[in-house]
Amino acid sequence: MSGQRTRHTAITGIGVVAPNGLRTDTYWKSVKEGLNVLDRITREGCGHLPLRVAGEVRGFDPSALIEDTFLVQTDRFTHFALAAADAALEDAGLSGIAADAPYSVGVVTAAGSGGGEFGQRELQKLWGQGARFVGPYQSIAWFYAASTGQISIRRGFKGPCGVVASDEAGGLDAVAHAARAVRRGTDVVVVGAAEAPLAPYSMVCQLGYPELSTVEDPSCAYRPFTSAACGFVPAEGGAVLVVEDADRAHRRGGVVRATVAGHAATFTGASRWDRSREGLAHAIRAALDEAGCAPEEIDVVFADALGSPEADRAEALALADALGPHGTRVPVTAPKAGIGRSYCGAPLLDIAAAVLAMEHGQIPPTPGVFDVCHEIDLVTSTARPAELRTALVLSRGLMGSNAALVLRRGPGTAA
Amino acid sequence: MTTEMTQVTVEELATLMKKAAGVTVDPHDLERRVDTPFAEFGLDSLGLLGIVGELENRHGRALPTDAERCKSPRQFLDLVNGAFTTGA
Repeated sequence: MSGQRTRHTAITGIGVVAPNGLRTDTYWKSVKEGLNVLDRITREGCGHLPLRVAGEVRGFDPSALIEDTFLVQTDRFTHFALAAADAALEDAGLSGIAADAPYSVGVVTAAGSGGGEFGQRELQKLWGQGARFVGPYQSIAWFYAASTGQISIRRGFKGPCGVVASDEAGGLDAVAHAARAVRRGTDVVVVGAAEAPLAPYSMVCQLGYPELSTVEDPSCAYRPFTSAACGFVPAEGGAVLVVEDADRAHRRGGVVRATVAGHAATFTGASRWDRSREGLAHAIRAALDEAGCAPEEIDVVFADALGSPEADRAEALALADALGPHGTRVPVTAPKAGIGRSYCGAPLLDIAAAVLAMEHGQIPPTPGVFDVCHEIDLVTSTARPAELRTALVLSRGLMGSNAALVLRRGPGTAA
Repeated sequence: MTTEMTQVTVEELATLMKKAAGVTVDPHDLERRVDTPFAEFGLDSLGLLGIVGELENRHGRALPTDAERCKSPRQFLDLVNGAFTTGA
């Protein structure tokens, strides 16, 4: 019946668990104010490591949000995802959807870090006490796929599920994957990413990244697009979205907050930031093409903002390459400078910020950055009021992935 | 250790269900519903496997491989206690 109709993918729900806010409204308030919440790492067992500063999610109490049966078999990164999924479904007004139509809802998550804390605990039992002391949930808890599986099981969703493991930019790729599922006929997809890479084992895994900032002062540890750029700061948390067929959303009276208009991804090699210029520019062009969007239509760019001089330069040049003269005029922002990068969760948090920015007509500032040394119009200090209809979200991964996503502002309630 | 001491009680099983699988069940309720499938208590197969592992570690001996496939508390307790009694 609907076979010939083009299905558009609407974002109708947002759930956030972030270092600067455990709810979407507090997250947006912090982002809009340009709050810098980067701080010394306080997680147990991490004090002796040379990585000192991160964006920790503090005050998150999983036992108040998630049943014990799920807590015992999941890592912190899944706790974040479960909580964010609940919030997103409630925001979309779809908390009860599984009871009505379980096969109409799918789940897609992206992951880059997995369940390091859970895995470390069980591996310590393996080497400390022996193989017989390793719990069976080790077999599922620390894998990238855990959050997708647990969201679908806990909420009773039986539609198409998937996991995208394509580096940090996989956060954007997951949303594109979800949009394809909607176009193919799935009514609703719960899509997102959340990470918890601040346990000792997970942190040691990151120490080899040359782009990691080991600066001890939280106020200057992550300063993208400045001459003082010294790498990036990792973070916990992420966001989950509810995306659904736009017509279906209108019919049920849901609020279309934004539409997923275009996406593309490229690969240019691990830590080859010079090459990411071309890769990112190509991704931007292809995403605009899919969206049917001219460069001048882009009203704001949420930058990847890796924070190393070479990577920042490549991104600034990629914007100029792909957007032409508009590339140096379009407002650019990087809220993650005040939050850190939660790997695959980071681009999801940027999508959430982009949707909220379009709704509020405010471009949030890049926290802690004042002296921009690239040819871009980076929004700093305070939020900039602007009519925002179209946003471009960019993401790159340390292993060489580049991705671009174009979002259009939604009509709000039924158009 | 005497046979008496190695018997697994309903109370111990209830405690293990909580510890290994996060399933809260009142021991008296478990006693009354001893033939109810584990699944109805919310205990999945990995959860039961965790309970088997915990018991094996506590008692320092292996349980029959069928233990992790038991469907109900009674079936599980009968098998485990039978094994402990006979020293299998």
